[in-house]
Amino acid sequence: MKTTTLILAFALSFIVSLADDGKYMEVMQKNIMTVYTAKTIPDLQAVVNTFERVGAAEKTKWEPFYYASFGYIMMANQEADLTKKDSYLDQANAAIKKASAIVTNESEIVAIEGFIQMLRIGVDPATRGQEYSGLAMQSFGKAVGLNPENPRALGLLAQMQFGTAQFFGSSTAEACGTADKALEKFATYKPASPLSPQWGKEMTVELKGKCK
Amino acid sequence: MLRNAKINFMKELFTILFTAISFITFSQTTISGRVTDAKGESIPSANIVILDTYDGASSDADGKFVFTSTETGDKILQVTAVGFESFQQAITLDGHSQTLTVKLPELINQLEAVTISAGSFTAGEEKRRTILKPLDIATTAGATADIAGALNTLPGTQKVGESGRLFVRGGDDSEARVFIDGLAVLNAYGTAAPNTPSRGRFLPWMFKGTSFSTGGYSAEYGQALSSALVLNSKDKVEMSQTDIGILSVGADVAHTQAWERGSMTGKVQYTNIRPYFGLINQRIDWKLAPASLEGSTAFRQEVGKKGMLKFFGNFNRSNFSLYNHDILDSSIKQLYELTNNYAYGNVAYSTILNDKWNIRGGLSYNLNQNNTKLDGSPLDESEKGIHGKVVAEHSLSDKVEIRFGTELIARDYEASKRDSSSSAILKQDFKESISASFIETEIYASNHFVTRAGGRFEYNSLTNKSIVDPRLSLAYKPGKHGQVAFAYGTFRQSPKNLYVRVNNNLLSEKAEHFILSYQVVNDQRTFRVETYYKKYDNLVKFLDADGYALNNKGYGYAKGAEVFWRDSKSLKNVDYWISYSYLDTKRNYLNFPYAATPYFASKHNFSFVYKHFLTKLKSQVGFTYSYSSGRPYNNPNENKFNANMTKAYQDLSANISYLPKNFLIIYISCTNLLGYNNVFGYQYSTSPDEQGVYHSRAVQQAAKRFLFMGVFITISKNKSVNQLPNL
Repeated sequence: MKTTTLILAFALSFIVSLADDGKYMEVMQKNIMTVYTAKTIPDLQAVVNTFERVGAAEKTKWEPFYYASFGYIMMANQEADLTKKDSYLDQANAAIKKASAIVTNESEIVAIEGFIQMLRIGVDPATRGQEYSGLAMQSFGKAVGLNPENPRALGLLAQMQFGTAQFFGSSTAEACGTADKALEKFATYKPASPLSPQWGKEMTVELKGKCK
Repeated sequence: MLRNAKINFMKELFTILFTAISFITFSQTTISGRVTDAKGESIPSANIVILDTYDGASSDADGKFVFTSTETGDKILQVTAVGFESFQQAITLDGHSQTLTVKLPELINQLEAVTISAGSFTAGEEKRRTILKPLDIATTAGATADIAGALNTLPGTQKVGESGRLFVRGGDDSEARVFIDGLAVLNAYGTAAPNTPSRGRFLPWMFKGTSFSTGGYSAEYGQALSSALVLNSKDKVEMSQTDIGILSVGADVAHTQAWERGSMTGKVQYTNIRPYFGLINQRIDWKLAPASLEGSTAFRQEVGKKGMLKFFGNFNRSNFSLYNHDILDSSIKQLYELTNNYAYGNVAYSTILNDKWNIRGGLSYNLNQNNTKLDGSPLDESEKGIHGKVVAEHSLSDKVEIRFGTELIARDYEASKRDSSSSAILKQDFKESISASFIETEIYASNHFVTRAGGRFEYNSLTNKSIVDPRLSLAYKPGKHGQVAFAYGTFRQSPKNLYVRVNNNLLSEKAEHFILSYQVVNDQRTFRVETYYKKYDNLVKFLDADGYALNNKGYGYAKGAEVFWRDSKSLKNVDYWISYSYLDTKRNYLNFPYAATPYFASKHNFSFVYKHFLTKLKSQVGFTYSYSSGRPYNNPNENKFNANMTKAYQDLSANISYLPKNFLIIYISCTNLLGYNNVFGYQYSTSPDEQGVYHSRAVQQAAKRFLFMGVFITISKNKSVNQLPNL
């Protein structure tokens, strides 16, 4: 009987923990869909708030903060007021810092860091262009180094290379080559978990469209 | 049978368990409410959460929220929103609906809050609400990447073309002091031949923030009568790179090595203007035109969790020689030779101890040696100075901050020359140490009203005198963009070395500032208007026009009004600013027989700076037009002192930066495109001719125009970097 009780207790705790993780997976999956499809800043803020709540409760999971940061990036993308855009990027940065405090050397997180740096340029290109383009390139390089199979790191790197080439009126061949490579990786990319990032393909396809 | 019983038992257990679980699931508590600010205005998108659970909601456009929680028992409800303090409240979840009204106090935030603005121009790299950025300084036409040159296009400054230095609100160049990371810089300008503009010794790129104050500055800054230029050096550099510059007047090479928690930069620069002067005729009779060798190094290291250690060092050796011609008889000439040795070192450390305390401190060392020879007869001057400082910053709450610190500024000055008749060495020297402490508090009544009040105590070892100077600043921001500010303070500075060495007992000169300003900063447009009154006391005065009998009986005033407008939004790829300063000043000091306007003061100063980025040409072109009304000069042939006026000064300068490749910049600049024949004043012969007439000579630019070219190449692992971020 003692053994039965033990087994039972063990099984129960397993079920409960599974249920718990199940809830995490369920809430995350639902909200990840929302962050990908939300159109307005208030909608994005609402889903970001949810990620922040989940992140605060879970403490050992990096995904909630990763997607909170992604949500803020999408908000920054929509915002026209440069001061507000900058403050959304500040929020995105604060969120991704929480994620990187949980896991180090995660390619997806480093790619987001680069994404933020890339968007900083747009706020004040004359003052920030030089410094932030260097930083963004460095981050994308690091993200690709950490995981050469990460299509988002390659896709963002292609964006950066394309922008730089356009600015200097030089050949976009390198950027387009990177975009090709990114698309290859998008095709073969197998998400490690249902919570793994899935975005970025459209953006890269669009970029590829500009290549002659 | 037994097995079946067991299965039945388990079934039952599961049923009970599941019923229990579902029972818990269906015991829900509905929580609803509204989030507002202190005034009752709704806060949308606030995040409401039961801590350590997923349960919560975002407030809607009306600040309203509603959600259900399956949790039970005592929990903590937290509400957060950007720009507001977070809120926590204990809550018991027992199935009964609850309605809450949450008022969030606003967070004093730098982006929206009122700022101390009277008298100051703050320029930072990061924050968008700044007036001038390091890049703006570097790309201002006519400034040739000189900090003072660019600041001279701002209101409150008077153009003194033959000097190239900062003259602020009726003050002379010595009254505007430079501080790097809070530490004083003596001799902030490089040496230049008489009546030729000097350049600042420090490049704008080194600094992440520049705060140029034309009056009413913080009690932290002493020994500055008119202006404090506070430069904050950059933190660690993120990328390793090598920079090479090939200039029309020399070359430089720099290398930066970055590592995980620090970086180090070293730079060597050689400047030689001789070939250029060989090509372009100069009004100066050079024997040997200026050449200099300069080295600098910057070291940054993060220490511990929040600490940053910075070291900056700079040495410079320059020399030139020229012939001074007698005004009466230009065939009589005197050889003037100068060698200057300069060294500056600065160690600064800052750390955040905890949420409430910040500590920063540092030590700077200055060495400046001028070895002059007049027709071979030596005249040596040397000044050594150290400045040590420790400052603590404490926030009592997010609305009240206290800053206090203590510092020591010690200087050791010596001048010597050989007496022409006895050939004995004559010496004049002094050792001065000023110990000072200051305390200042900044109180935010709200995001709309801030007060900064404090005082500064100084003790001077030479005069054995102590003084206390009060400082006060207020700013009120009624709406979103505009703000009114007021500043008052008394400011002191030891007289120039030239006078202290003659009379060691001279008191500090004193100025009292009253400033009233209004400014609107809206996205990429800035408008500001400022008016001030400044009262001078204890100025050095010659007794009976004798330069060796000095007292502190001089006095004076300066008053004026200034307007500034900058717009980088209205026209695409265009950034421009306009500044105008009106100045009325008189003083009775030095050899003045009565109160008169000094030679460096011009009534009207106007600058128009225009920058246009041409995307297709990958170039930025810039123009700067400056106008200064005439300056007074004294004609000894007339009875009235300083009663004559030069004609107005005008200059139109242009520059172009071309970025053909992302690691290459080509830069060309030219001053005075239209070739105005500017006269800065007149020098008169020391004695009259046989008819009793003093002869004059105009003080003019060494050449009408100055043309400068440079090619800057950056080598780094990734090619997208060029020298714009750090030079």
